[in-house]
Amino acid sequence: MSTRDLVLAALFAAIIVALGLVPPIMLGFIPVPITAQSLGVMLAGVILGAKRGGFAVLLVLLLVAIGLPVLSGGRGGLATFVSPTAGYLVGWLFAAYVTGYLSERFVDRSQSSIVQIAGFFLAALAGGVVVDHALGVAYLAWGTGTGLMTAFVGDLAFIPGDVLKALIAAFAGRAVMIGYPLLPQRA
Amino acid sequence: MKTLYVEGDTFLHRLSPRVKLVALALSSLLLFLTDSPLLLAAAAVCGGCIYASLGLGWRQSLLRLRPILLTIAIVAIFTLVLNSPGQALTVLLRLTALALLAAAVTATTSTGDFIDEITLAARPLERIGLVRAADLGLSIGLVVRFVPEVLTRYHAIRDAHHARGLKPRPLTLAVPLIILTLRNADEIAAAIDARGIRAQK
Amino acid sequence: MFGSEFPSPVFRSIERSRHRGTGLDIRFEQAEARFEGRTVLHPLTLSLGERRIGVIGLNGSGKTTFARMINGLVVPAAGRVTVNGFDTAKDGDKVRAEAGFIFQNPQNQIILPILKEDIALGLKGRKLSKQETEAAVEAVLSRFGIAHLADRRAHELSGGELQLAALASVLVTEPNILIMDEPTNQLDLKNRDLVERTIRDLDENVIVISHDLSLVADFDRVLLFHEGRLAADGVPQEVIARYREIAA
Repeated sequence: MSTRDLVLAALFAAIIVALGLVPPIMLGFIPVPITAQSLGVMLAGVILGAKRGGFAVLLVLLLVAIGLPVLSGGRGGLATFVSPTAGYLVGWLFAAYVTGYLSERFVDRSQSSIVQIAGFFLAALAGGVVVDHALGVAYLAWGTGTGLMTAFVGDLAFIPGDVLKALIAAFAGRAVMIGYPLLPQRA
Repeated sequence: MKTLYVEGDTFLHRLSPRVKLVALALSSLLLFLTDSPLLLAAAAVCGGCIYASLGLGWRQSLLRLRPILLTIAIVAIFTLVLNSPGQALTVLLRLTALALLAAAVTATTSTGDFIDEITLAARPLERIGLVRAADLGLSIGLVVRFVPEVLTRYHAIRDAHHARGLKPRPLTLAVPLIILTLRNADEIAAAIDARGIRAQK
Repeated sequence: MFGSEFPSPVFRSIERSRHRGTGLDIRFEQAEARFEGRTVLHPLTLSLGERRIGVIGLNGSGKTTFARMINGLVVPAAGRVTVNGFDTAKDGDKVRAEAGFIFQNPQNQIILPILKEDIALGLKGRKLSKQETEAAVEAVLSRFGIAHLADRRAHELSGGELQLAALASVLVTEPNILIMDEPTNQLDLKNRDLVERTIRDLDENVIVISHDLSLVADFDRVLLFHEGRLAADGVPQEVIARYREIAA
């Protein structure tokens, strides 16, 4: 990995950590608070691509593991990796990678803005909603022993918020691509 | 950045990080494999004793565990209502035991020790060409170094919004934050390369 | 030509020997730089051996590319550049051990949270003991009067303090040459004066790019770049006068 890519990933990890310190917002129609951190994970994918975005998220997870309270709400430490929501946390890694892979594959600067935003949106959905929630539900169901149906139903409450985040990530991803293009990954 | 490590000289503090991590991994595995309420209860009590032995005091101890215990409680209640009391008990005991043991390891192992262990564990992966072990410690340092800068930048952008009478929105905050932060990457990378920090020595 | 691959791993005391200011041999042999198909620096042939060399020119004139070709951060697209016998394209690591580089933005050069850990980073490959490392770090911080900041967090320091810290981080490995790309550009007046005075007191060979002409006015030689070419080369007064003509 080139030094530039390493630094890009580290700086983005710092952004994800900083987003954890932003207070969560409550939207009236959604029963759970919307935290900015998982938005950061989707952004890592659409802006940095699979490898660098994945590495950025890996760094965040390592920071949590070594005992730094970088998750929103000041959470951290090894306990978060056995908490019921641990599947979502580790799922971030795969989410960023999938979102990044799809972004690199299907979005480029020659497309119209609508196509770019749609592309990033689908990439963010695939990674941040489908893959992350699948892993979250899997751990919840199997690991904690609540069963698939229960876990799935519990998960539904978080989907609207994450779909909204995917939309924000798509618009932001496009804006960053215009202002400071980082895809495709140059050596 | 404040860490969750607490200075001290307890039995766990003196235990080597590797032993603690391996023990934690093994106990986690066992706790996931068993469904016996008796074993799980014993583990939870054990975990509680170990955690209490750290001498953190009631307030600190609860503060650290509150978010995760809350989540466990919610999941346990869901399970109670939708499945069975037996399953709910299993969930409650298993997760509580794991959380207590994990939190105890976190509180008694410094970030420096963790980074050393991670670097050592990454060495075999170097041969596959996945990652360079030394890069991990460097990258972690980079993140911790630049988080305060990102926060300062975030506040500056938010203040600029207020000054213009604009309401800060996720989009209008995130985009400048990302671009301004990532723009430094080239110079930071050049400085790292100029000092030969990643050169194979 | 200069024997050792890396400067010797012995820490120096604050007293510095005068030999550090001699023995500079930088050669550009028809060296050309391109970026995304465009020629940024036209084929250049020259030799540098003076102790203090200034580089001036308008933005985009090629002076930064020129500086980065000396320590191999930019590799020539044609021709070659050698530093004390080492080819920048083939022996980049050795060149960068000979020539330290200071960048414009003070924030972007200290990369670990705690100052003394960042300074120690440069000594990592030397297999020094913990005491030797600590002593070397303290010595170089004292040299710049910032030993009291050793345990501080980088983001708490002023621009001037960070630039001095950057100097310490680079000079802890005792390179023969120090290249500085507009080191005072982002500093306020007080910090600018502080760093300028420090630069004047350096006895290493220095090559300084600066918009601040007073900084290079008493150097041994000044190079003026314009539109990717060397437009003037000689004594500061003449070259600066030529610069004013071009810039007008």
